[in-house]
Amino acid sequence: MIGYIGRRLLAVVPIVLLATLVTFALIHISPVDPAEAYLTAAHIYPTEEVLAQKRHEFGLDQPLIVQYVHTLGRLVQLDFGTSYLTNQPVWEEIVSRFPATAELALSSILLSIVVSVPLGIAAAVYRNGWIDMLSRIIAYLGASIPQFWLGYLLIFFFAVKLDWLPVEGRGDWTNLVLPTITLSLVLIALYTRLLRASMLDQMQATYVQYGRMRGLHERTIMLRHVLKMALMPLISSIGMNVGRLLTGTIIVEQVFSWPGLGRYFVEAIFNRDIPVIQCYVLLAACLFIICNLLVDLIQLWMDPRISLKGQTEQ
Amino acid sequence: MLLRFKRSSMLLLTMSLALVAILAGCGSNPESSAAGTAKDPSIRSITMSWPRDVGVMNPHTYNPSQLFAQSMLYDPLVHYGENGKLEPALAESWTISKDGKVYTFKLRPNVKFSDGSAFNAAIVKKNFDAVMLHKDTHSWLGLVGVIAKTEAVNDLTFRMTLTEPYYPALQDLSVVRPFRFLGAAGFPNNGDTATGIKEPVGTGAWVLADYKQDEYAVFKRNPHYWGKAPALDQVTVKIIPDAETRVAAFEKGELDLIYGEGVISLDAFKQLRDNKDYVTKLSDPVGTRSLLLNSSNPKLADIRVRQALQQGFNKQAMVEGITSGLEEPADTILSKNYPYTNVDIETAGNTYNVQHAQALLDEAGWKLPAGGTVREKDGQPLELELIYDKTDPIQKAMAETIQAEWSAIGVKVNLTGLELTVQIKRLKANDFDLYFWYNYGAPYDPHSFINVVAKKGFGIAETLSAVPNKAALDQQIREALSSTDETKRQELYHSILSTLNEQSAIVPISYVKKTAVYHKNIASFAFPANRDENAFFGITLSQP
Repeated sequence: MIGYIGRRLLAVVPIVLLATLVTFALIHISPVDPAEAYLTAAHIYPTEEVLAQKRHEFGLDQPLIVQYVHTLGRLVQLDFGTSYLTNQPVWEEIVSRFPATAELALSSILLSIVVSVPLGIAAAVYRNGWIDMLSRIIAYLGASIPQFWLGYLLIFFFAVKLDWLPVEGRGDWTNLVLPTITLSLVLIALYTRLLRASMLDQMQATYVQYGRMRGLHERTIMLRHVLKMALMPLISSIGMNVGRLLTGTIIVEQVFSWPGLGRYFVEAIFNRDIPVIQCYVLLAACLFIICNLLVDLIQLWMDPRISLKGQTEQ
Repeated sequence: MLLRFKRSSMLLLTMSLALVAILAGCGSNPESSAAGTAKDPSIRSITMSWPRDVGVMNPHTYNPSQLFAQSMLYDPLVHYGENGKLEPALAESWTISKDGKVYTFKLRPNVKFSDGSAFNAAIVKKNFDAVMLHKDTHSWLGLVGVIAKTEAVNDLTFRMTLTEPYYPALQDLSVVRPFRFLGAAGFPNNGDTATGIKEPVGTGAWVLADYKQDEYAVFKRNPHYWGKAPALDQVTVKIIPDAETRVAAFEKGELDLIYGEGVISLDAFKQLRDNKDYVTKLSDPVGTRSLLLNSSNPKLADIRVRQALQQGFNKQAMVEGITSGLEEPADTILSKNYPYTNVDIETAGNTYNVQHAQALLDEAGWKLPAGGTVREKDGQPLELELIYDKTDPIQKAMAETIQAEWSAIGVKVNLTGLELTVQIKRLKANDFDLYFWYNYGAPYDPHSFINVVAKKGFGIAETLSAVPNKAALDQQIREALSSTDETKRQELYHSILSTLNEQSAIVPISYVKKTAVYHKNIASFAFPANRDENAFFGITLSQP
């Protein structure tokens, strides 16, 4: 097991290397000069003298290969550089914004699990009943309503008209409600349908018929056997979404003025803040790898038939 | 197995809930923080929003510090007042030598920084030295290029010597950055403020009392402020990047005020303007939206073509239709609220007149071929590219209107939406036909405007390169910038602005204005004359 985890973690190295290369290439393909973007954001006209000075300060006057090697050298020492825009260490800025993003990510995942698991089970057990219809409506809404629009709707009704909740910002639990619901709706839609389909699939398996023949209670079959197996694809999906949510939710953070990583990253892109973009991409790559690894380990623990090589033992 | 699964799931769920609760507890807002006395009725306070974090409050650096916030903490030597009148601020008075090179400032006595330390010539000199250490960074400001030396003559006398006469020196000293003054306690050990400051210590009316990055900043009155205290005790600035959310927070009453340039959409402004519960206000012009017709393009080199294009679209209808009265149709390149620009300029030739525009194009040799819709000359179609900022809905709508109107006189316009930085790059490279351009506003104009007309590298001199007598125009500009004779300077400005208007290479479209929307708990609101200054001196609250 430890060897397996070690091998998976070692895979981070080539992925991270590739991520740095792709990010570096994409930034330099862009026609926007980061020094010019900096000056534009500062409302300074980019004269040749100022541009040359800024390019030198940012190290952008070096040949591309030198810039890339220099970047790699920094990253190896876990030095993520200094933001062009704020002149502050990038890692410190990311760390300061991560709790806000993590809070929103966790609350959204929790709410979506709490709602979608019972709803998915009920939709499968009472197939084509009213609860199944309800789950379908939620799925349609979740899949079709754009998140920014849902956010504005929730703000309009629950914050402005009813005055139950704050419009924006991060504070106590009341600030968390609307952005969490906005983020969760699409997840609830996805997880409910996924669990329902998976449950229905498992309910056709021979072990269910065998259980019934043995006279096991239906609830025992569903909760003890079917649900356990049906949760597998749901766990994979949750793992992917946790990674995505932990790297920031750009639209929701923007609409609700949530001071997380998503907003920070968008501003970095607009300002071509290369050190921030690089650090963010690396962080995202690492988070996705770790989430995938955790999902694999959880599935392995839940179903020992899955071998460490990824094959199902017969 | 099931039991273990259940236990683990419950444990995981409980831990997650606890983590969310802990993280939620880490969050904060100005109302719940120690400094958050915003709801205390005994404190005269307002809450407003701003799209970006206020930044690090370093008076000598740019990003990410916000100009309005820097102006709250730090004062200039000279204040830019209504219609460009320069008024004493930290300098009580000043004298200028006859040759226009030596400026001697008598500093205001008994001024203290927010930490109680004294403001004097030595700290002025220290701040100037810190700015001039990074001369290249600040080279956009004309004054920086001509400062020869600075001296603290005595405790309250500061002298600045220039390499050559530069009349806008005082105006340049009134800008929000970089020539404002940090107290000694704020300087880093190496004295180089570009590397950061220890704390934001200024002489301004406000101090930063509480701050959470990307969330809010709370400003309270500076107890040591030298001038008349503002009517407010506290200003809370909430960082709300989204314009629609800003409006929702305002309607809910979480904000008392929204103000700035482009801070809410046109639709939202109209909606709030029509609501009797709120007050809306527009500033005097803070800049002009113009269209550059690049005379270095052979098709636009002929003045008759440029004049035809100027007369070929209904500016009045376009500006009113698109901006719903938020902007005002512009007759002249610079509005009349700058120094030297309140002059009579003949603008009758700019008036919308389709027949005359068509006649001018015919006269210039651009004829409509039989059955064609685009004019031609020597086999070349009269086809031009208009580049605009793709994130700016007003520019896009105006570009489409101009395209349609010029099509009616036989001119084909291709629209290209670009990122702002790419646009500026093309402007500098003189790689454009038509371009939306804005002047700098007060206190930078009119001298910055005429400077870019003469000086290459900003795209404007290049745009005007084919106008007749460009060399003579440049000479007039040089004389205006160095003249020490006020009357002669006024005459030169009149002549320069008249020439530019006649040439129609810079077509004024509209005067851009700042907007303010506020609740009726605010009794009065006044926009500052300086485009970048904060507006909090002009706010009074209604009696409770």
